[in-house]
Amino acid sequence: MICCKECLDLLYDYIEGSLDQETTDSLEEHFQECPPCISFMKTYKSTTTICRDTLNQVDVPDAVREALLKVLKENKEHPGEN
Amino acid sequence: MSFTQPKENKILEEALVRQFQGGDLEAYDKIAEIYQKKIYGLSFNLTRNQMDAQDVTQEVLLTLFRKIHTFQGKSAFSSWVYRITLNASYMKLRSKKKEPNVSIDELMPSYNGAGFQQEKIQDWSENTESLLFTNETRDVINKAIELLPEKEKVVFLLRDVEGLSTEKAGEILDLTVPAVKSRLHRARLFLRKKLSSYFEEFSSRKVEE
Ligand SMILES: [Zn+2]
Repeated sequence: MICCKECLDLLYDYIEGSLDQETTDSLEEHFQECPPCISFMKTYKSTTTICRDTLNQVDVPDAVREALLKVLKENKEHPGEN
Repeated sequence: MSFTQPKENKILEEALVRQFQGGDLEAYDKIAEIYQKKIYGLSFNLTRNQMDAQDVTQEVLLTLFRKIHTFQGKSAFSSWVYRITLNASYMKLRSKKKEPNVSIDELMPSYNGAGFQQEKIQDWSENTESLLFTNETRDVINKAIELLPEKEKVVFLLRDVEGLSTEKAGEILDLTVPAVKSRLHRARLFLRKKLSSYFEEFSSRKVEE
């Protein structure tokens, strides 16, 4: 059986689905014997999801949007002045 | 939401770029509209500062206007925009004193001699839902990302937050695919560790209540 450390090294490719069948099998075999590694894998995946959901909430504030529009408009009318 | 581009968008975008290169200012407006949120979001996540992100966005949009003739289409237009955005954001960061980063190695998982887990691992992945959009959780996540060393942070932002492919992130950062993967993996491990402390503490708090 592969050890937890090897399991961790395979995690990235496992989640991408880019492991070959044999390696996938040995990893899943490890998971069956090792609940901590399942927890690790799930929380590893969750980390990406919750960070992405949080960071993607950044929106351009209205004030910034307006200021940008103004600058771009001026720039189009008088290129090269700001 | 992910910014992986469907093919039609890419074709539309290439057409807009060509129109703008040919002098069509309306095409420029459309390009600016498409990219404004991406530029602002990425620079805000890097600088964590609204003024800086605004400056960067303005600078990048003006650069697109002035330098469009230098874009030769050897790489994707979006890669070019991301690269200009990163450079402008780094200029902002460099002009500021920064707190030293924590060592990322200290937060990597540890194993016993036989390569087996040593720490107790809690599965908090099912319990994040109710916590996800509280201010406290948001702060913890933002703080954790802020603590990431820059090399890992930028890979994490492009790949996991913006949703770009490994190849594309490599093209933008001038890194090989294995280098992108290894930095991304380290970033995720670091963040997982940081978030674990928080979510585990939170569930023990709940038990006490
Ligand atoms: Zn294990």
